[in-house]
Amino acid sequence: MPPKRMTANPVKPSRYRPGKALAEEHSSDSESGEEEDDETLKRIPEPSRTTAAPPKAASFPSSTISTNLKKVDLNERRKEAAAKEVARLEQEAQAKAREEEGFETESSAASTKSDSGSTESEAESEEESSSEDETPQPKLLRPVFLKKGQRQTSIAAANAKSEVEAYAEAEARRKEKMDALVQEQLEKDAAAKAAGKKAWDDDDEGLAEEIDDTDGIDAEAERAAWRLRELKRVKREREAIELAEKELEEVERRKNLTPAEREAEDREYIEKQKAEREGRGQMGFMQKYHHRGAFFQDDDVAQELAKRDIVGARFVDDPMNRDTLPQYMQIRDMTKLGKKGGTKYRDLKSEDTGRWGELGDRRGPRESGYGVDERFRPDRDRERTGANAGPLGERKRDWDTPGGQQDMRESKRQKT
Amino acid sequence: MAHQADSKRMLDNRGYSGRTLHSGNPAALLEKAVLDRIVESYYWKEQCFGLNEATLCDRAAELTCIGGTFGVAQKPTPFLCLLLKLLQLVPERDVVLCYLRQPDFKYLTALAAFYVRLAWEPKDVYATLEPLLADCRKLRRRTREAFAMGYVDQFVDDLLTKERVCATSLQKLPRRRDLEDLDVLEPRVSPLGEELEEIDEDVSPAEED
Repeated sequence: MPPKRMTANPVKPSRYRPGKALAEEHSSDSESGEEEDDETLKRIPEPSRTTAAPPKAASFPSSTISTNLKKVDLNERRKEAAAKEVARLEQEAQAKAREEEGFETESSAASTKSDSGSTESEAESEEESSSEDETPQPKLLRPVFLKKGQRQTSIAAANAKSEVEAYAEAEARRKEKMDALVQEQLEKDAAAKAAGKKAWDDDDEGLAEEIDDTDGIDAEAERAAWRLRELKRVKREREAIELAEKELEEVERRKNLTPAEREAEDREYIEKQKAEREGRGQMGFMQKYHHRGAFFQDDDVAQELAKRDIVGARFVDDPMNRDTLPQYMQIRDMTKLGKKGGTKYRDLKSEDTGRWGELGDRRGPRESGYGVDERFRPDRDRERTGANAGPLGERKRDWDTPGGQQDMRESKRQKT
Repeated sequence: MAHQADSKRMLDNRGYSGRTLHSGNPAALLEKAVLDRIVESYYWKEQCFGLNEATLCDRAAELTCIGGTFGVAQKPTPFLCLLLKLLQLVPERDVVLCYLRQPDFKYLTALAAFYVRLAWEPKDVYATLEPLLADCRKLRRRTREAFAMGYVDQFVDDLLTKERVCATSLQKLPRRRDLEDLDVLEPRVSPLGEELEEIDEDVSPAEED
């Protein structure tokens, strides 16, 4: 791992800042690796520590994993784990004893440590001793500075190492626990698969199992149901054939009639349709129109609903005559009553300014001069006052003289 | 061509040169939206990679339901994924008939029936699928929100009559009547043949009265 700062300067010891974890800056691989582990809160459990195992996808129905799982005996594992736990506790006790012996020299050298790894492990050993065991705290002496020659680093190093080992074992223990948990889970999954034929990655297994698709439960009932379905299919086919035949008959019949008879029949049909339409209610003045929609035409339920008479239906408070309402309430869509933006526009007819159906005299200018308010009449038709009172003289029509226009202009100029 | 494990050739329509169905890329029989859902699903990516006609049977043996897409995200069922695999493989006629007629795995039968309806000519479709109308085994159907009960004969009937089954729109099949008129097929004799005649006999004396 490259150093944090790309300088060649010697690394300064990291200071203790209360409340902050000590940062690691030296590159000792094993220690830094383990300390990284210490600092991470979550850890991904690995299936085995020796070889890279295949990924644990529930989807792979690989036989090797399942057979290996079957070989796993949880009881054995638990015994092993317990034995290891006991061994670890013993070792920890030993380590503690060693620690307590050498504590005073360690503490005296603590303040000047550049080896930050051991300080961290010391700090943790202090934590361990205080939290896990309830033995009385060892005597804490005031830290005294010792020169390099005076320090007894070997003992400290040995103790540090033992601390590191103890920590490694704690790590190992935790990893094993996680492994055991994962093994249990996998075993459960395998058992479920073997027993229940669990569908691939299916979370809705419960829902699926409600519909039982095993055959042969009640052969007679199944056969009877099938017979019913087959009969329905045959019936459907026959009805389709009959319909086609009827149509052909009808076409034949109409061909054989005379045109007059055909017209008579058509008229009858149209009358019948009109009667149907009149049977339904009328759309009231400015009533809102609801289109039935173009989809779901094949749906039988939808067809039943389509036969309803929506347009002619009246509810209790429906005003038959909308004129009786104040103009503010004379709107098509009563749901928009009182809402913003629905104030002025009533309906197309009342807002339209065209004069539809007026096919009277249409002779341009005269029209404009008479039917309109006095203000909008053209100027010619008004009362003439002041300078407009008398008629204007004729303009001199002398355009034919050579340079005629220019002469006129110049003559006018000379006057001024 | 050698067996292609991945589906790159089928999915990229430019310059498709494999086996065609209805004179086009077989994947064109499914809609683009559904095709995208299938190809992005985990089942397709993990289980349907590199399948051939034989290993497809293993997958089909594990099927537990038929259906199209389900859920809010339109997740495809394994059934639909295997159908796309069949469309990619375009198996031989014998192989498909073998799938249809084996008695052990009804979901494989259903899958083959679906493939036949999509891929083969109308005459062959009718000829092959009508025997299945006598099969009364139960199938589990997966609808958009839940599961439902279905039967093999009902599924085949839907394939022959409906326009949209299992998230695919089926090509229009000419009516059986039209094919009979063209003398391509013979009129269908229902498996209930004898019973029907009996019913008719019962009805007609009553009508005469």
